[in-house]
Amino acid sequence: MKAAAIARNTFREATRDRALTGVLVAGVALILATQALGALALGEESRLTVDLGLSAISGFGLLVIVLVGTSLVAKEIERRTIFNLLSRPIGRPAYLLGKWLGLSSALWVVVAVLGLVVWLMLEVRGHGGYGPAVAEAAYLAGLELTVVTGLAVLFSALSTPVLSTLYTVGFYCAGQWSWDLRDFAERAPGALGVTLRVAADLVPNLPIFNMRALAAHGQVTTPFHLGLATLYALVYCGCVLALAAAAFESRDFK
Amino acid sequence: MRTSAAPASGWPTPGRLPDAPDHPPEALAIRTAGLSKSYRHNWTGRIVTGLDELNLEVRLGEVMGYLGPNGAGKTTTLKLLTGLLKPTRGDAWLMGVPIQQVSSRRRIGFLPEQPYFYEYLNGMEYLELAGQLSGLAGQEAHQQARGWLGRVGLGERPRLVLRKYSKGMLQRLGLAAALLHQPDVLILDEPMSGLDPFGRRDVRDLILEQRERGTTVLFSSHILPDVEILCDRVAIILGGRLTRVATVGQLVGASHQQVEIRCTVVPPFAPEPGLVGTVERRDRPHETSFLLHDDTRLGEMLAWLLRVGAQVRAVTPQRATLEELFLATAARADADGHADERRSA
Repeated sequence: MKAAAIARNTFREATRDRALTGVLVAGVALILATQALGALALGEESRLTVDLGLSAISGFGLLVIVLVGTSLVAKEIERRTIFNLLSRPIGRPAYLLGKWLGLSSALWVVVAVLGLVVWLMLEVRGHGGYGPAVAEAAYLAGLELTVVTGLAVLFSALSTPVLSTLYTVGFYCAGQWSWDLRDFAERAPGALGVTLRVAADLVPNLPIFNMRALAAHGQVTTPFHLGLATLYALVYCGCVLALAAAAFESRDFK
Repeated sequence: MRTSAAPASGWPTPGRLPDAPDHPPEALAIRTAGLSKSYRHNWTGRIVTGLDELNLEVRLGEVMGYLGPNGAGKTTTLKLLTGLLKPTRGDAWLMGVPIQQVSSRRRIGFLPEQPYFYEYLNGMEYLELAGQLSGLAGQEAHQQARGWLGRVGLGERPRLVLRKYSKGMLQRLGLAAALLHQPDVLILDEPMSGLDPFGRRDVRDLILEQRERGTTVLFSSHILPDVEILCDRVAIILGGRLTRVATVGQLVGASHQQVEIRCTVVPPFAPEPGLVGTVERRDRPHETSFLLHDDTRLGEMLAWLLRVGAQVRAVTPQRATLEELFLATAARADADGHADERRSA
């Protein structure tokens, strides 16, 4: 209940932030701009729209996380607004959960709006058949952003906004390459191999959320993939938030 | 409890209720036992003590002023009580519940020093959030928020965003946020700091109103006249150690009383030998005033003035203010500290 109040407030904070509006406007503008490139796409306009549109959802979503999420908790500590919250009967884990839920909700709005614009562009051009593929791909992109938000909350609760940004972007990049990392681990000898395997297990498995290539061809994924990705996102976020809560519990607010 | 800090001159032992040494714990709103906080410097590893073995008991329904210079440990104490800092040692209870438990904060209202607010919210939204976090259901939080916004004089523009609030308005909003769930214990950190006289009066009135309601209030302040008006008892903390706890009356009454005597111009006679050293003379163009440091010698002094032909115009007892007593206590503690350092050297 109290986590929901924090979540509502965080959602309000994110949606009233000009950064989010700016990102949405830029995202819509980029998707519209792809229509101008249609002539150069040699009959691949719909593929270009889907590919660029879904990339815009991930890219601009990540930008929102960097602009808002990585300072989500650190800013509250720096500005001392956290005093007004944690001096009330609310546990620190509930506070972090609320922050994560609030920003994730704002990101789902970004995903929904940009996804809708992509679908509208396709409809206008008479490629309505891409709808289910775009919806699934947007859903997975939303899950990916939810996982990265969890990491941003963790790092934001433990370090400064600058370091938090570096860690979050670093984990995002490593997460995108987690399958390559696992391949390297297979081939690397001894301790290096073990280290790489551990690292590959720790960073988020983000390729599981990427079905842009499939969607660009108008193909949908399996319900098993969608279910597995959802479960993975929930478990990973649960672990990350539990870690954040454990570290945040002993923190002093001077 | 640091008994060595208590002078042997009849002062109550720090922290204990002066008239009820064995007060049952259930009658206490706030209780700390050996509460301590130390910080380790990140680079040097040096340990700095912010609060040292605090033993404090605040009775239900009383208003206690918490005094001390900057860096004495006042804010540290209040943050420990409200869960913003974790104690290094010791325990504390709020309404009988250990401060380690989140539920200990259910019945308290807290106003931090120079409170900061979410600038993107309006007054109504902020108070609703505060109410919900303090355990009020949505509709009740809304009603209380509306009511309290009006009570602190901000009800005319409930949708005004907080970035447009003045400092005084923010302070009043902070107080409303601390009060809207009707807490049993109110903890205020420098609630009058930075306010103009009108703002101070408003805050004072709110505290007095809460006292009437039976709310226990613990507040730190630098504005000693306000403390003198509001408090049943005061606790003085210096260098992280509690040095005095007493009623304002005990503190002020225990000091020596001075008397000012104003009269017509008195020729420059020396006072009688018995009064030398107890009286200060000040000559002005149309009058002479004397400050008698020992009020028990007043009769003697007046008799001497009549003998030398002076016409007495006014005799005014001068009570030491809490501020003077606080400064004297601080100076004494400082001197004791230096003496300790010299002894240990």
